[in-house]
Amino acid sequence: MKFKLPILFALFALSISGKTAPQYSVVNIPPPPTKYKNFQIDGLTFLPNGKLVVCLPSGEIFFRDLTKKSWALFAEGLHNPLGVIAISNSELIVAQRPELTRVRDIDGDGHADDFEVITDNFGMSGNYHEFNFTPVRDEDGNYFFALGTGSRGDGVRTITRGQFNQRGRPGRMHSSAPYRGCIMKLTSAGKTIPWSYGHRTPNGLGFDLKGNLFVTDNQGDWVGSSKLFHVQQDNFYGHAASLAWKPGFENSPLQTPVEKLAKMRTRACVVFPHGTMANSPTKVLAITPQANFGPFTGQLLVGEMNRPRIMRIMLEKVGGELQGACVPFIDGSPLGHGCNRMDWAADGSLFVGQTKHTWAGGEGIQQVSWNGKIPFEIQNMELLEKGFKFTFTKPINRELAQNKENWPFSSYFYEYREAYGSPRSDETKVDISSIKISRDSKIVEVELAELKAWHIHEVKIMNLTSQEGDDLTNNYIVYTLNRLLQNTPPEPLQIKTANSSKKS
Amino acid sequence: MNDLSSHCKAKALIVNNTHIMYFNTKSFTGTLLFLFCFQVHSESKDEIVQRGKELYNGAGSCVACHMEDGKGQKGNIPPLAGSDWLKGGSARSIAISLRGLTGPIKVNGKKYYAAMPPQLLFNDEKLAYILSYVNNAWGNNEGLITKEQVAKARKELPQDVFTPQSLLKRFPFDKKYSKKNGTFTPTFDDTLTEITKPVVYRTFMPGASPAAFAVALPGNHYYCWDAGECRLRYAWTTGGFIKSNQAHWSSNGKPVAEFNGTPYYRAHSSMLGNESFEELSKTNMQKPIYDTSQASDFPIVIDSIREAPSYLGYRLMNGFPIFRYSLGKHTITELIQMNTEKNGIQRTFTLSPPVKLIFKLTPSKSSSIASDCGKITTNGTLSLSKSESSEFSIFISPKEETN
Ligand code: HEC
Repeated sequence: MKFKLPILFALFALSISGKTAPQYSVVNIPPPPTKYKNFQIDGLTFLPNGKLVVCLPSGEIFFRDLTKKSWALFAEGLHNPLGVIAISNSELIVAQRPELTRVRDIDGDGHADDFEVITDNFGMSGNYHEFNFTPVRDEDGNYFFALGTGSRGDGVRTITRGQFNQRGRPGRMHSSAPYRGCIMKLTSAGKTIPWSYGHRTPNGLGFDLKGNLFVTDNQGDWVGSSKLFHVQQDNFYGHAASLAWKPGFENSPLQTPVEKLAKMRTRACVVFPHGTMANSPTKVLAITPQANFGPFTGQLLVGEMNRPRIMRIMLEKVGGELQGACVPFIDGSPLGHGCNRMDWAADGSLFVGQTKHTWAGGEGIQQVSWNGKIPFEIQNMELLEKGFKFTFTKPINRELAQNKENWPFSSYFYEYREAYGSPRSDETKVDISSIKISRDSKIVEVELAELKAWHIHEVKIMNLTSQEGDDLTNNYIVYTLNRLLQNTPPEPLQIKTANSSKKS
Repeated sequence: MNDLSSHCKAKALIVNNTHIMYFNTKSFTGTLLFLFCFQVHSESKDEIVQRGKELYNGAGSCVACHMEDGKGQKGNIPPLAGSDWLKGGSARSIAISLRGLTGPIKVNGKKYYAAMPPQLLFNDEKLAYILSYVNNAWGNNEGLITKEQVAKARKELPQDVFTPQSLLKRFPFDKKYSKKNGTFTPTFDDTLTEITKPVVYRTFMPGASPAAFAVALPGNHYYCWDAGECRLRYAWTTGGFIKSNQAHWSSNGKPVAEFNGTPYYRAHSSMLGNESFEELSKTNMQKPIYDTSQASDFPIVIDSIREAPSYLGYRLMNGFPIFRYSLGKHTITELIQMNTEKNGIQRTFTLSPPVKLIFKLTPSKSSSIASDCGKITTNGTLSLSKSESSEFSIFISPKEETN
């Protein structure tokens, strides 16, 4: 979710119309019987007993028995719940605007009757954009949740919660109440601490199967294009406002030279190019071994608000840090807009909750199921010393893959700057020097004339079919190349436009 | 004159926008009336408006609802002063007056839910006077209305009370007014008039931190409880429960809830001055009036405890929230229900472990305050002994004149 884009930026958006492999089907789930008649879905998970849990903007939580196809109201009266974890069949942890709350049915009548604060040790200026996004829990029982910054679309309220901090107040997106723009950790011992800094609209936390924590962020001030970050303690991820809360940072964030901020920041492991990949990425969900979703176990799914799209993320460790590629996956109608929350049903299908809150988006619940047959997709994209290795789910047509013209690569970067978004900078066409195809025709190694560290590399693979003649379902893939396998040059600041070509 | 003119089957003509001359029809009273009208009824616009004003402000007339200043009643009755519904000809207001209007409407961007009954006390001419006045009072600047227009409408309009849909189908708005005027689909809260079981909402409330509750009690008493400071902020009973929280929830979250009544009880906060709830609803401040870390006047004072209370959560008992919070090593619970007389609220507290305390209430002209143990001084201080503190109740009810 993000503040409306200036039209100028919207025009940059070059839509690549999407496809979903025919091996996946999307069906609508009837909406819960809310008396408020608003069917946006702001939180979604499953109970251990298999029931679907959804949170609505009205503060209601409904359970759905998927076999009986019936809804039941579990709880009411929450404040914009934007995420939920099921602890048991009668106990949830909900992120609502003012708190993380344990919502329990104590007397066993099917209705929640106890609402216990598990933490409210963070501030609220009352600015509408200060969302409290997605709680997740690690294996040790620590919770993480993400605090949105306030928007320049409005100021602060007359009474705010937590010590007001003038240093975080200026700016397009602000942080005048404690820890706005931070990922928070509630330790299993009950302590609430800011865990990482520099987030703008961190609408979506999630773990990979190895326990790494990730969060998305939305394009805007200090965020040249939307991103996926690997969240690590005390790191600063680029949005300046929340530095007001970083111990030892005494300056006013916006008066700090951008060089200094650029040196402090930690890069994204994936950048989602604005307009072509994602404008408002949401929840991060790992494809677990229990998921019945095709040959992609271990990869991540990330939702997108602005178009009907769920992306697939493939990461690898290079130079000690995670980086990797994103590709549209479940894409285009009948998938709805506003895919905000996702989780796996007991049968391994994916449930998606859609929302909008006045931004681009949608409303409703959809179920995405895989029919067990292999789709024709890029299974993986990995860095090589001089290019990229593409692994396909099916043997490819060698002749088509061999044709260099079918691999129109380009590289560019987004500037780090206070202004809203960023044009693509240093955008250049990259020539292919060689193409090697494995004997089983599933792996293509593409050697590029030049690999540029700290640049995004994207390709829209043209005309490629499988040996059976299927078109490659999703052929637009973007690799965020921070580090090379060897001899990575020092990280550039990328704060100034150096011969930027403003292609749209 | 009233009697006479009501027999007058004359035609009104507007001459250079300031004079009306009545011409006789072919009836036998014509000549008489012609003379009479010509001499006495050659009214100027001012005279017509003046006559309409008297009728408007008379007993049983529009004034009862739309008020003398034409501003209506906030949240309940729409204004006639400046109303776009009067624009673009008079057919719409004649129709509303003759047949009534029922269903949710938006007037100049604000929402109204009440129904207006047909106004049957007035004959064609009187209604023409009234509507001419309405069209030209309080800065309105529309045409004068003739009794023929009214008579025609009375004869031709369908007999049913208009719904906003049926009215606007017949008399649609000019494009430039249609965005802020028309009808809308009411949400659940809009239709909450009789509260039969407690309603617990968390939303943005004026005069509270952003971590607030709005609760409606059966019997139609309402209160705002602030989890940011662990205290009751205010209670009210007139004007209905909060509005706009649907917009707060489902939109981007900007709107602060509104309510139409005036609280009969409002707990003192030394951090606030005399700000109105409207001022306290502001969301566009550079900095707050204060933040909760500065809040210094928690009403429960226990010797030796300096720290602020900490909110722990609530449990529902028959739908009523029992708030719990801690103060030092003490846990306090607070349950707010209607009192047994059903004319005010009862706040029941438990404190564990019990301890001698002072409870600071906020006496005012608009409410009476009592407790079931200890004495409340005129400045609102209730002192409780250790044993009394383990469970006690405070009763707050509106005094008659504010209700
Ligand atoms: C019993 C209260 C009551 C009385 C008396 C009353 N009205 Fe209304 N009026 C209302 C209400 C309530 C509405 C809004 C109806 C709705 O929401 O559907 C309304 C709506 C209107 C509107 C359209 C909305 C607007 O604000 O412009 C006009 C015009 C109007 N009334 C004129 C009159 C006139 C003229 C009279 C006297 C002849 C009158 N009313 C008497 C209650 C009343």
